[in-house]
Amino acid sequence: MTDRVPAAPASPFTGVGIGLRRPHLEEVAALAASPVPFWEVAPENILGQGGTKARQTWTILERDPVITHGLSMSMGGFDPWADEVLGDLAAFLKQTRSPWHSEHLCWTSVGGANTHELLPMPFTKAAVAHTADRVKRLQDRLPVPFLLENISWYAELGEPEMSEHDFLNETLERADCGWLLDINNIYVNSRNHGFDPKAFLEGLPLHRVAQMHIAGHAWDEEDQLIIDTHGAPVVDPVIELFAWVLPKIYDATGRAVPVLLERDNDIPPLADLLAEQRALQAVYDAALAPLLASAETRA
Amino acid sequence: MSAGAERLEKLQAAMADLALEADDTAFRQDPIAFAAGRGLDPGDARAFARWQRRLLTYRALVRYALRAPLPDCFPVSKALLEPEGLWEPCLDAFLEARAVQSPYYRHIHPHFVEWLAESGWGQDRYPFLLSLAHFEYLELEVLRAPEDGPVEGVFDAPAPERTAVFSAAARNLAYPWRVHEATEEAPIPAEGAALLFCHRLPDGRFQQRELEGPESAWITRLQAGEPLGAAAEAVGLPWDEARALAEDLRADGAVLGFA
Repeated sequence: MTDRVPAAPASPFTGVGIGLRRPHLEEVAALAASPVPFWEVAPENILGQGGTKARQTWTILERDPVITHGLSMSMGGFDPWADEVLGDLAAFLKQTRSPWHSEHLCWTSVGGANTHELLPMPFTKAAVAHTADRVKRLQDRLPVPFLLENISWYAELGEPEMSEHDFLNETLERADCGWLLDINNIYVNSRNHGFDPKAFLEGLPLHRVAQMHIAGHAWDEEDQLIIDTHGAPVVDPVIELFAWVLPKIYDATGRAVPVLLERDNDIPPLADLLAEQRALQAVYDAALAPLLASAETRA
Repeated sequence: MSAGAERLEKLQAAMADLALEADDTAFRQDPIAFAAGRGLDPGDARAFARWQRRLLTYRALVRYALRAPLPDCFPVSKALLEPEGLWEPCLDAFLEARAVQSPYYRHIHPHFVEWLAESGWGQDRYPFLLSLAHFEYLELEVLRAPEDGPVEGVFDAPAPERTAVFSAAARNLAYPWRVHEATEEAPIPAEGAALLFCHRLPDGRFQQRELEGPESAWITRLQAGEPLGAAAEAVGLPWDEARALAEDLRADGAVLGFA
């Protein structure tokens, strides 16, 4: 293990979890125990709602480990956050005992208009400073540590002053927050923009990684572009990259970080998703087994 | 604000224009002029040209994200407008108005209804469109309404001197059109008042009942906090009928008790 001090919060659980989705709520709520190490939920999709689906959701949240992941704080944007939204979010994080909360390194709204899409930041020094400041201000309002997630991007917004690599590095360092490493997004960007994903990862602050995301994507023939759809099983090259980076994260943090299998579109039956989760868990276990054994021996 | 932050906000505003404005011809024809017209400096404007095709991908993604929840929630409105070639222009106008302001994705539905109310879009031709869309959203609103907290100190039985404690999911509505009878096959509602009381049953299902005028007026007064007996007398509703309706509403969970 390196001498670097982990800059990421520790998780009370490890392994591969999945996102809790509406089509699965009734089935999952009826289970005696969780079939996964944890579920990931978006507070925006639960807060302020009642009815049958909400009751099923809370049955699960009160029974099983949960990590929260946000969709709409527009971390690189300028629109202010409503006190009521922040208050509700903070209460939700406490109630679900989420170990941290995450958002994307992007913007979603401007001038009050919400696009509900993860839009790319310009790779500029001002964007680094602005986003880092917003992260710190949001962190001050949350009861748990905050993580930023790297996104898939399809176009540069404006003339860049630095590479994506430097932009990501500088934003994480300046915000001094944890990193939700989306390994699929690294792969998608590497294919769309032509770089080596392993070389890209080598220079990034892996000691900040507290959690990972892994997902499927789609090839857009018309635009000759991979789109981060979260609507298909994870492809082999992403799994290979995942297995490659896991020991490096362990080496940098001294921990086996939790990993979330994302599926937001064309959602399959729960049994199919759990089969994919088990396959990824096997990859996870195999990648970390030598390191965990070594740590056990030292202890 | 620093110059760098101003530049950042201008870039985001230009991207939002590209994504939300109904007509993208100007951007397709001359992305540099499009960007320059929004105050971007020459370098940023050139980037808009360099990434033109991929920026249009973002336009498509944003428009898909904002429009996707609407057809399922407003199938009758869609069935009304689509044959006339007006459904797409309706959604285009909705996006262009930048009416989606909430960070909650589920608020796109009520934002659509609010936008129809504020803009009056399409209502010179279809004066019932707002009522129709409002009714279509109503079921979702009731099904997802916040849970009721525990209610203490209430009675199960109605009495003239008591007031009714309503569920947060209960809605008492008066439409000038028979919107609840419109269907995807016959989307034009008949003229005539529709007095509807909607709520969520204890098992989570949606419940709708059509009321007579005095019943609807009585419930309106109850929701304003009037005692059951005085409200019934004010609207000319016989007490026996009022009590029976109150008992029904209590049994269905629309009324949580009587205080």
